[in-house]
Amino acid sequence: MSTIDTTCLLTDRYALADSFTYAVAEKAGAYATARKVLTGMQPDAIKAEVKAANIRGRGGAGFPAGVKWGFLPPPDPNKPVYLVINADEGEPGTFKDRTIMEKDPHRLLEGCIIAMRAIGAHTTYIYVRGELVTSIKRLEQGIRDLRAKGVLGKRPFGIDHAMDIHVHPGGGAYICGEETSLLNSLEGYRGEPRLKPPFPAVSGAFGMPTIVNNVETIASVPDILKLGGAAWSALSRLPNDGGTRLYGVSGHVKNPHVFEGPVGLTLREMIDLCGGMLDASRPLKGVIPGGSSTPVLRPDDLVHAPDAAHPLHAWHGKSHLDVPMGVDTMRNLGTMLGTCCAIVMDSSVNMVEAARNLMRFYHHESCGQCTPCREGTGWLAEICDRIADGHATEADVELLVDVSNNMMGNTICALADGTAMPMLAFVRKFRGEFLAAAREGGVKNGRLDQAVVPLLGGRAA
Amino acid sequence: MPTFKLNGQDLEYQPGDTIIRAAWRAGIEIPHYCWHPGLSVVASCRMCLVEVKSGRPMMLPIMQWDAKKNEYVDATKVKLVPACQQAVTDGLEVSSQSEPAKAAHATVQEFLLLNHPVDCPICDQAGECKLQDYWLAHQTKLKRKQTEPVHKSKAVRFGPTIVYDGERCVMCTRCIRFNDEVAKDPVLDMRERGNVNEICLSPGRELDHKYTLMSEHVCPVGALTSRDFRFKARVWFLKAAPSVCSGCATGCNMFIDFEPRAQEVQRLRPRDNEAVNKYWMCDDGMMSYRRFHEGRVTAGRVRATGGLVDVTPSAALTEAAALLAAAKKAGKKVGVVFSAQHSSEDNHVLAKFARDVLGASSVYLAAQGGWDGDAILRDADNNPNRAGATAVAAQHGFASLGTTAKLLADVASGSVGAVLALGWASQESAAELAALSKVPVISLASNEGALPSIASVLVPVATHAETNGTFTNRHGLAQQFKRAIHAPDGIKSAWETLAELARALGATIDFGKLEDVRRALPASTPTAQPAATA
Repeated sequence: MSTIDTTCLLTDRYALADSFTYAVAEKAGAYATARKVLTGMQPDAIKAEVKAANIRGRGGAGFPAGVKWGFLPPPDPNKPVYLVINADEGEPGTFKDRTIMEKDPHRLLEGCIIAMRAIGAHTTYIYVRGELVTSIKRLEQGIRDLRAKGVLGKRPFGIDHAMDIHVHPGGGAYICGEETSLLNSLEGYRGEPRLKPPFPAVSGAFGMPTIVNNVETIASVPDILKLGGAAWSALSRLPNDGGTRLYGVSGHVKNPHVFEGPVGLTLREMIDLCGGMLDASRPLKGVIPGGSSTPVLRPDDLVHAPDAAHPLHAWHGKSHLDVPMGVDTMRNLGTMLGTCCAIVMDSSVNMVEAARNLMRFYHHESCGQCTPCREGTGWLAEICDRIADGHATEADVELLVDVSNNMMGNTICALADGTAMPMLAFVRKFRGEFLAAAREGGVKNGRLDQAVVPLLGGRAA
Repeated sequence: MPTFKLNGQDLEYQPGDTIIRAAWRAGIEIPHYCWHPGLSVVASCRMCLVEVKSGRPMMLPIMQWDAKKNEYVDATKVKLVPACQQAVTDGLEVSSQSEPAKAAHATVQEFLLLNHPVDCPICDQAGECKLQDYWLAHQTKLKRKQTEPVHKSKAVRFGPTIVYDGERCVMCTRCIRFNDEVAKDPVLDMRERGNVNEICLSPGRELDHKYTLMSEHVCPVGALTSRDFRFKARVWFLKAAPSVCSGCATGCNMFIDFEPRAQEVQRLRPRDNEAVNKYWMCDDGMMSYRRFHEGRVTAGRVRATGGLVDVTPSAALTEAAALLAAAKKAGKKVGVVFSAQHSSEDNHVLAKFARDVLGASSVYLAAQGGWDGDAILRDADNNPNRAGATAVAAQHGFASLGTTAKLLADVASGSVGAVLALGWASQESAAELAALSKVPVISLASNEGALPSIASVLVPVATHAETNGTFTNRHGLAQQFKRAIHAPDGIKSAWETLAELARALGATIDFGKLEDVRRALPASTPTAQPAATA
């Protein structure tokens, strides 16, 4: 299966020695597109190309970036527009944006420059997850170099559009990956999601119109402008979901890593590109397709779409793992594409332990603002703990479902939904394991390292 | 006015109203914890979720067990919106009682009580706690979580007036927002996250500004309790009388909460009035209830050889009449002192007494000397009825009232030969007023103070908790207040006492009832009094 076309656009400089330095990146073509675009294209033309590229946001929600840029109100001299880059990559299982910032920060910075031109912004804030020390260091060095070269400054490439970029290290809270929490944190407030509306495009950072984009989304912008939106979009295997993207695989594969490919690879192809399963004697059991908030898929679940009008009809009767990974296809499958970074679990994984691990995470990361999330995440973690440790009854499995149902859709942000959805999927697809653990006094063959339990400080106890 | 539909009922709304505010205005409660009419909207408690009718409702995926199929099947539930966040639009159809809305209220209520200690028997909020009320109204199910609840800080001293219990807290952030937005002192915030978060003080600070007790009053549960009130009374034994604060010239509307069996006032708390105090009161105002019992004058007092002697109120009245008769007979001028602390009714009868019975021309006003006002509620004049007392005096031809300093000068010069003074309050200390006692001083007072202490005769009268009355505030708004407790035996309101004094002097003041006095008051627009229930 190694014949899959993994076009190298976004990652074409990854393999170069010192690819993160300005000299190497510039020699390999960085900023050529920015120069061409800034000196030769009007903002509306740039936006049109990005829209034509059909790029779906790479941060997890999959919202079309071109459409998002269109939500900005008409220019107002009293209301500066900000570009904010969400580099708070915190979704468990996701580690793609970090490769861009570490291996090719100049691609992101070039994307910022083009995007600022397109949306009329003069300032970009890159909100980087605090733990990503190397990313922060390399972005900051890149910005210093750009200022020295005059690429950032009063007249980038000689045009009258002052630009600057700032790196803002986050404090390592998962919730600050939610765009309005991120803005609160950026402004120095508690990282709690804001009420919407108003949406950031109208009132975002410091109350001004703001576009918040994921690292990979903006890093793709130079390629979109280089190839042209339509041509870039056509690289994808799917309609309305253009281009190439980063795929990440972790878990029980031979070579877990991040790689680039056209939009629409299948999970099976992804696993193959990572050298296949780790141990031939331990078959694939489940895959979390795009970060921990996306519902788990089973290889033995088949697509049921006999109706020709069903969007998944083309894959009727095939395994869930053979459906191409796209924002819309995954949604139709009852899960989400998310960040497109899959967690592969083989038969040695006990799903009760996997669920408990995730629920502990969400319990720890809920901001505590909305009641259903604050209490629900803790309760789910507590029930999972009891099931795994053998202090539960079978009724507790149904309680997991009920609590999840009650959390769904009742909160300000999507953290509660992102907790309830995977919880429901775990119970739905591996109900037997939960019942068995409840019946038989706990998980007998769990792989969750018990050494982590004391680290949780009794929170989930 | 435009209308919308709530639970099938047409309601008017004002542009910009949210669903919950429009309902609140119409007296309909949509259950809520974090929303407060005087604070910003955070929409975080999620108790006020309502269903908004829509042609294409947004459906959320959930999961149900299908016993026939023996597997889970997809199900949906309708997306609800917080009534505190959703703006009303013309013709909007809202239901807070539809099955999905009711289910949401029940589940949010369950979540809120999940880690709550349920220590109602030792909690001061019991009886006026939203967790209790809403459990009964919206949940009524037993707890499904039987394991150890999350433990948090308890009995944390937030300052001189407030104690915090983290385990009872529902994280509505009303206290944080009150301090930020109304008291303008961001002394509270939240620390930690998830279900271990709690309210905390700013480093190095205490909750010690002038509006700290409001933090307790905005708290919908027992997380914040007043150090003064805690463990003193169960609220269901208390009755409430609508009254007006006597702390300053603002005239904040309040309830006097009192224990009817012991006839004891236990606390004061704000009564909503958008035009005067909105929903708030200051600490000094709320603590002024102490005057109803502390330093209270409950017996008459007569100066005799060897000092003061306690007598019955009626004996004191007789002695007062004798002193006044003697002064009149001797042709001495009687100086009459009005009180900025007493009601317009009391001052009105005093004015009538001064003019018709004494024929007095030397008139004065006794008032406290002021305190630090602010731009929130507190007026620099810490007397509740300076305007009212002045107005009723003017009505009787006393165009200007002298200060107590002027009275001291008039007594010293001999132009005033006797004094009839209402009220306990004065700007001067007892030592400064001591020079008055060279002439007979008749004091009508409810509490100890400088004036009563130098009196030749002290006739006890009722406090403002013990009478009906009217205060006129700094903006000229006359506000009536209702009696809460009974005055001790033999003690009457100042105006009734003055009417009796007139009779003892052989004169008649023709007021039999409070209404008679009220009719005679200067024309004004008293605020309508709400029902006497809290």
